[in-house]
Amino acid sequence: MEREGFTRVPKNLQFRVGLLLGLTIMVAAGFIVYALYARGVFEATQRLTLLADNAEGVSIGMDLSFSGFPIGRVQRISLGEDGRARIDIEIPRKDAKWLRTSSIFTLERGIVGSSRIRAFSGNLQDPPLPDGAERGVLRGDTQEEIPRMVATLRSVLENVEQVTGAGGSLQASLDSLRGVTERLGKKEDVEKVVAMIDRANALLASLEGVVSKTDRRLFGAGGVVDGTQRAVDQANTILNELRESLKRVDRILADAQAVSGNARAATTDLAQLRAEVDASLRKVSGLIDEINRKWPFQRDSEIRLP
Amino acid sequence: MSWVRAWGRALLFAYTAAAAALSLSAYTARTRAVAMRYVYFDAWHVLPGFTLFIALLSLVVIQITISLALGYGLAQFALELVFRAVVFELIPLLTAMYVALRSGAAMVTEVAMMRASGELDELHAANMDRYEREFVPRIAAAAISVFALTIVSCSVVMVIAYLVLYGTSPWGFAEYTRTVALVFGPLALAGFMFKCFVFGAVVAVIPIAAGLDATREPETAPLAVMGGMVRLFVALALIELAALAVKYV
Repeated sequence: MEREGFTRVPKNLQFRVGLLLGLTIMVAAGFIVYALYARGVFEATQRLTLLADNAEGVSIGMDLSFSGFPIGRVQRISLGEDGRARIDIEIPRKDAKWLRTSSIFTLERGIVGSSRIRAFSGNLQDPPLPDGAERGVLRGDTQEEIPRMVATLRSVLENVEQVTGAGGSLQASLDSLRGVTERLGKKEDVEKVVAMIDRANALLASLEGVVSKTDRRLFGAGGVVDGTQRAVDQANTILNELRESLKRVDRILADAQAVSGNARAATTDLAQLRAEVDASLRKVSGLIDEINRKWPFQRDSEIRLP
Repeated sequence: MSWVRAWGRALLFAYTAAAAALSLSAYTARTRAVAMRYVYFDAWHVLPGFTLFIALLSLVVIQITISLALGYGLAQFALELVFRAVVFELIPLLTAMYVALRSGAAMVTEVAMMRASGELDELHAANMDRYEREFVPRIAAAAISVFALTIVSCSVVMVIAYLVLYGTSPWGFAEYTRTVALVFGPLALAGFMFKCFVFGAVVAVIPIAAGLDATREPETAPLAVMGGMVRLFVALALIELAALAVKYV
């Protein structure tokens, strides 16, 4: 086959070339194993599906972070039958303890950099998130917020401009304040105002005393109200007595009409009755006087007799 | 039109060389011995110097990248940027260019001289398979050399990137691993290996094809060397561009 022979490769050269090739293959294989380990091929994972209205900015390999630490990785993004984006996330079992049934997931888009998916677990005592769970995701988009924020800010600035501009309310308030300050500027005026305020204070203090005294006089024990209550009780008693007397007058007048024979006896009875009526009327009159004396606010009081 | 013909001849040679390299019968004991010598001279000889050069270069580039990323508040992307830019793109291209400059230029000159001296014609007349005897070992050796140098250099660069970013602290390992997982997916790794292989093959195939362009006239040799090196540079740039386009466009 071969027309001419060839010089054999020296052993040390063979060894060096073999060493280089062995090293290269070992490093390449080792790195592939390391990359597979880094991608979580050798550890048990569980799946979580996040449902979003919009998966814009989400990419495969993106991290799901909890308290700033990546605990999962986006494996697949698909469009569900309901038109919502489904983001499948692989979470290593050892990190799945941070996710609970009550956990909340957010998808945030910053101004710089890619989107971020974050998990928040309020109560770590809740039951753990089951494998294959589906959860909604809340979106927060800085780029979408900026135009809205600018519009709001513009209206705020316009308001501020209106308030601070010439003829604005702040200007008018400052003008009137300046006028008051100028008027208060004279020393004697200031003294007058201070004296006026002092007098008003003194007046208020004395008024407070008067009010407390009036209160005691009106509503205290033995006060006007108390006396009036007693007088009304007495008036009730006297009126009852008067009613009885008048009933007797009715009966006696009936007897007088019926019996016309004994005029003397009737006259005697009439005189006695008159005396009793007079006495009752005097008591009533005295009572009314007493009420009038004790009740200063109602001068035109009248008592209707039955 | 000459450059079109030259590219056509290079493609045709690449096709025949690939067919020869893929047939197991081409790998005789002689081929293995010749290939081993070329690997020794192309890769082992230059390994310490080239690794040191790549370490220094990558140290500077990584330092600049990480400082800039930190300055812009994009620290979380610094390592990813280093992996994507330096490990995936810069190191393989630099390695291929280094091997092309050192071995490719020698190869095209050697083949052109063989052509001029009539050695290749003699082999052909003696019914010896010149591909097996001369070209397959060179192509295999160039591919292995580029691959080995790239892998060793990239490993060194990845260690330097860790040291620059985290120092000797072991606590950066988890974050480092996460970034590795993010960047080195199965597709990215397969693409990286394929690109290294293609770089290695091109570094040998284009110079040999250019050397075959020479004639018995000795003055055609320099022209063949010049054309071969230019075509090699263009081919490496095109492969890099295609790889970037596939990944990012």
